[in-house]
Amino acid sequence: MKTIKDINTTITPQPLVDDKFTKSGGLWQDTFKRLKKNNIAVFGAIIIGILFFCAIFAPFLAPHDPENGILKDRQQPPSEKYLLGTDSQGRDVLSRIIHGAGISVQIGVISVGIALLFGTTLGVLSGYYGRWIDVGIMRLVDIMLAFPTILLALAIVTILGPSLKNAMIAVGIVNIPRFARIVRASVLSVKETEYVEASKAIGCTDVQIIFRHVLPNCLAPIIVQATLTIGTAILEAAGLSFLGLGAQPPMPEWGAMLADSRGYLRQAPWSVMYPGLAIMLTVLGFNLLGDGLRDALDPRLKE
Amino acid sequence: MQGKKWILVLIALLSLSLFIAGCGGTTPEPKQEAEAPKEPEVKEKVLVFARGGDSVGLDPANETDGESFYVSRNITDTLVDYEDDNTNIIPGLAKTWEPKDKDGLIWVFNLREGVKFHDGTPLNAEAVKFNFDRWMFEDNAYRYEGEAYEYWGYMFGGYPGVVKEVRAVDELTVEVELTQPFAPFINNLGMPCFGISSPEAIKKYGKDFFKNPVGTGPFKFVEWLKDDKIVLEKNEDYWGEGPKLDKLIFRAIPDNSARLMELQAGTIDIMIGLSPEDATIVEQDPNLQLLLRPSMNVGYLALHNEKEPFDNVLVRRALNHAIDKQALIDAFYAGFAKTAKNPLPPSLWGYNDAIVDYEYDPAKAKALLAEAGYPNGFKTELWAMPVARPYMPQPKEIATAMQQQFAAVGVEAEIVTMDWGTYLEKGEFGEHSMYLIGWNGDNGDPDNFMYVLLDKDNAKVGSAGNFAFYKSDKVHDLLIAAQKETDQAKRAKLYEEAQVIIHEDAPWIPLVHSTPPIAAKKSVKNFIPHPTGGESTFWKVDIE
Repeated sequence: MKTIKDINTTITPQPLVDDKFTKSGGLWQDTFKRLKKNNIAVFGAIIIGILFFCAIFAPFLAPHDPENGILKDRQQPPSEKYLLGTDSQGRDVLSRIIHGAGISVQIGVISVGIALLFGTTLGVLSGYYGRWIDVGIMRLVDIMLAFPTILLALAIVTILGPSLKNAMIAVGIVNIPRFARIVRASVLSVKETEYVEASKAIGCTDVQIIFRHVLPNCLAPIIVQATLTIGTAILEAAGLSFLGLGAQPPMPEWGAMLADSRGYLRQAPWSVMYPGLAIMLTVLGFNLLGDGLRDALDPRLKE
Repeated sequence: MQGKKWILVLIALLSLSLFIAGCGGTTPEPKQEAEAPKEPEVKEKVLVFARGGDSVGLDPANETDGESFYVSRNITDTLVDYEDDNTNIIPGLAKTWEPKDKDGLIWVFNLREGVKFHDGTPLNAEAVKFNFDRWMFEDNAYRYEGEAYEYWGYMFGGYPGVVKEVRAVDELTVEVELTQPFAPFINNLGMPCFGISSPEAIKKYGKDFFKNPVGTGPFKFVEWLKDDKIVLEKNEDYWGEGPKLDKLIFRAIPDNSARLMELQAGTIDIMIGLSPEDATIVEQDPNLQLLLRPSMNVGYLALHNEKEPFDNVLVRRALNHAIDKQALIDAFYAGFAKTAKNPLPPSLWGYNDAIVDYEYDPAKAKALLAEAGYPNGFKTELWAMPVARPYMPQPKEIATAMQQQFAAVGVEAEIVTMDWGTYLEKGEFGEHSMYLIGWNGDNGDPDNFMYVLLDKDNAKVGSAGNFAFYKSDKVHDLLIAAQKETDQAKRAKLYEEAQVIIHEDAPWIPLVHSTPPIAAKKSVKNFIPHPTGGESTFWKVDIE
């Protein structure tokens, strides 16, 4: 042990190693550094941070019960007792928004998880094996892309029946094609690199090549796409809930809150405005972070 | 700080867009005023009436919902009619009527002379008989697949029910023979579902008659754009006093507040389904007037008495104890309603005021549930109407509040909703477990509530009016006895007795009797809200 340490200490002071090289901590550390310099992305990350904080600590943060209101206190304007006012059922809007954060995070993560899993699988199969597999999968993806996303999601929920779970599945399914396309494109370019050819030459199996060499090198675009898609997924799920096809009452989902309160725009504008703002800020947060990540992961793109 | 600035910018943007939207609403007004004097010779009087849902169909015989009758009662006339603001009987297409025998088994109707349908064919005894036969007989040649003619069954005890035969004695005399004395008979015939349609038109349009209605009424059918509007025009040859309006348009605007905004913007003239809390907005608006429909309705939650766990009377009573009706009324009716303890509204004779309602007591509800074998409650569905009804202007809100109150006693209810036509149909097939619904009286006779909503005769899967599927032989015997009895005091006693049994059995949770507020422009004259939930007096209405 001692000897190795000694050797190490003797090596470091030597000026043989390139200055740049020692400072660099690999792709991920570099990315993080570049991201930190991007103020807008940091703003996005802060919003998302707050969102996750609310999602995890909702039961401690929320001042009131999100689902059981006091009918006598309905449509109270923002006050000390109810910071953002109450809705038509006498429920505290702030508490509902805080609890809704958890639901939104869940929607974002689960539906994007579905899209990611299936989209990546399809993309890799299609890009790596090519030929008829590629043609088959890509035509399927084209067909799915031909539908407006919300329409396709509506159709899926109508078949499955309205519930939050099914809304997540629907939003996941409609986002599969995006991932499939992006992954396929990256796989196509990675497939042609020397190191993949070298792995083939030394007799690696397809599975080994895909998981050891191809996928890790496609990670950057997938991460960017996933971050951006979480934002749209939350928006799409809120849209479905607004139409009554997602979260069912009394669940404090933001889209459902908008739908419940839209009739009271005059009597209780706060019960409409704040859930709307929450949706907007969340989507904004994910979009800003996604854009920042893209720039940070691929600095050439910026210039 | 950065976050705060963002929010400030956003709020500024939002308020700016609201401001612009507000300006947008006011700009067309001067235009209209400027245009009006240019064409004074046209001056067509058009009245636009807006409600929450579109009609299901315009053949009154084959519909059950108020939205359909709103329109059809202006197109078809009934043999007898009701006074302007109550249910006293006045002549309609029949000038006079009388029983031929002392038991009231045979009724003779003398029709008005010279009345013509909109298609030019004459109204005569044969035409009336044609209509009756179509309502009465399930094997009638002019009934088509999927048509149930529910209302005849509701009111007359099946097909043909209490009516034995209808005879055309001569051109203008009709005889109706009954199998038993039937007290509500004449009152029933004034209901809009028994409007007389043109036999020639029924033959001509066949299955499509529901979208091509032809009657003798003050207004003729022009066109129907589904889920948008139905246009009627003045019938120049109307047998009564001619209508003052040239056109009468029924628009469907599902959202209560959107409908009110249209009224304030001036694009509609009368709106029903005003959210009670908006009544103050209407009262404060110098261009609008607030009208009240006399109360003759009940809003209730039907519990499916044949499905577990609602087949247990203890569970039904427990749920009755779980609902705080007064809180619901305070929150969603702004004082335009009273709590209900009986299926009958208190404005009707036969109402049993001696009944003491199940008081709001969650602890008692829990105890009863435990006694029934559900100490931890149970999971179920709570079906809620998708549209504003006169007896329940905000069904979804009420369902959500009830969901909370049920949850407090351990009953977890999932709210289920669907479009209006499907909702009614699935209800008639008994696919629900708890079904939010209500009834607006049609004719001022208690039979119209009790027999239609709670008799076992009307608990038939597929055409049920008894959405609770409550089948009590004791209640049935009392209701049938009340139909046969002609002395009103004796009938009232029978209905009071039936209400005691119904209270004990608790097939429903009776919720409210509402006084539905209606908003209209001040320029609308002579619009008289009728307790039956619809007006056949639009011929009197004028616009200044």
